Amino acid sequence: MLTLRDLAVSYGSVPAVRKVSLEIAPGELRVILGANGAGKTTVLKAILGLLRPHAGEIRFGEDIDLLRLKPHQIHGLGIAWVPEGRQLWNTLTVLDNLKLGGFGDRDKTAVDKRIGEMLERFPRLGERRHQIAGSLSGGEQQMVAIARALVAAPQLLLMDEPSLGLAPLVVRDVFRLVREINDMGISILMVEQNANQALKVANWVYLLETGSIVESGPAATIGAKESVKDVFLGGHA
Amino acid sequence: MDLFLQQLANGLVIGSTYAVVAIGFALAFTVLRVINFAHPDIFMVGMFAGLVAALQWPALGFLVVAVAGALGAGLVGFALERTVIAPLRGRDVLMTLIGTLGVAIMLQNGMAVVAGPDPVAYPALIPRRFVDIGPVTLTLRQVLNFAICLALLALVSLYVRRTPWGRATRAIAERPDVAAAFGVNVARICQFTILLASMMGGVAAVSVGVLYGSAHAFIGLLYGLKAFICMLVAGNRYFEGVMVVGLAIGFVEALVTGYVSSSLRDAAAFFVLIGVLYFRPNGLFGSYAT
Repeated sequence: MLTLRDLAVSYGSVPAVRKVSLEIAPGELRVILGANGAGKTTVLKAILGLLRPHAGEIRFGEDIDLLRLKPHQIHGLGIAWVPEGRQLWNTLTVLDNLKLGGFGDRDKTAVDKRIGEMLERFPRLGERRHQIAGSLSGGEQQMVAIARALVAAPQLLLMDEPSLGLAPLVVRDVFRLVREINDMGISILMVEQNANQALKVANWVYLLETGSIVESGPAATIGAKESVKDVFLGGHA
Repeated sequence: MDLFLQQLANGLVIGSTYAVVAIGFALAFTVLRVINFAHPDIFMVGMFAGLVAALQWPALGFLVVAVAGALGAGLVGFALERTVIAPLRGRDVLMTLIGTLGVAIMLQNGMAVVAGPDPVAYPALIPRRFVDIGPVTLTLRQVLNFAICLALLALVSLYVRRTPWGRATRAIAERPDVAAAFGVNVARICQFTILLASMMGGVAAVSVGVLYGSAHAFIGLLYGLKAFICMLVAGNRYFEGVMVVGLAIGFVEALVTGYVSSSLRDAAAFFVLIGVLYFRPNGLFGSYAT
């Protein structure tokens, strides 16, 4: 479904991602584990067209070259984003945030229906639909961020550290939600530091360390490795 | 008391025009992150476009001339966006500032070559008549100017709060990357935003031309500075804030003219600017972090 080959992205002269190759098939849940500064968000932003790599290719399906497309066109292919730190439009209401999630979709009735479903699925959001997004709690904002991405009925969801800054109970809810979404058939490429939870939901794991993939394999295998503990001890500040 | 109310009324009329020009600045700055120095001169072009239309076809009513003004201003604004603003977007804000400043000078001097550097008479599209509203006396032209500007401001507010593109505009203002990633064609919406700001300016310009009975190639300088001050005083977080400040500055100017001295009128806006920024550097209503 999505293939990255030898991707290289730099911020000016500073390389953030060096020769990363990965892929994800329909229905899979793959996780990129890495500490701060490993380049995880950079990979996602390159897929979304928000950053231009200076080498490598990103292919969607058989023949769609994402490097030729603008971000709004990439969204139109069915790729949605749950950004790091939520990144809601904090001055807009919950409902406005969800409506914007469906902006690119021509079928407004379907979008409205999905928004209704989201508000039902997340009753707390339904109650707060006219509240300004910036005034919600961290957990509620995460729900909005996820709901916003789902409103577009994506095929592939890119999630950037969904557990960041959330209380442990809320983190559990988030990962339960992630599994539910995957069970619905939506592929998920998730980037995380929380190895514990991520390894429980993933099919396949990549370890990213200073811009390169150092390990790649099924979740069970990777979880047992000593190097996993190395990466995360290395990441502890 | 009567003097106060009269000055209030005068102030609101002037202030409403400042507000319309200021909204044009604010839209460009908040959404596109550019300081479009050519905006007041696009306003000026709209004024002359209306003038040309009224002279060519004297039978046209005010409404049609206003549309002509909108089209003239819109054309120049669109061309500016395509040739100067879009190619420089994403670079240092100073670049678009200089680029648009260059266009502003070109427009001013170009128009001075065509129409002369002195004021030109504007057709009397609205009759000279007085209107009494309680203790206050205004001319019909003043009332119309105020009504038109208020209508334009209401239009922008409605657009920004109630329409999908308006919502997308606010999303781009706050987080452009995230907006793009959710299907918003940022380039197209930026184009439309400049077009909207320009056309609004064009309509207001025709109204101002009729109000003062003259058009002037360098009129942009006067409105531009005041409008820019409105934007700085209000902060760029809420469009409505800019509108309120525009009216307020008009009012302050009128009070200064009425109670202090008319030669201090133009200084009033600067005093307000210094005063507000001293206490609230991000503007009265706050700004987005850039």
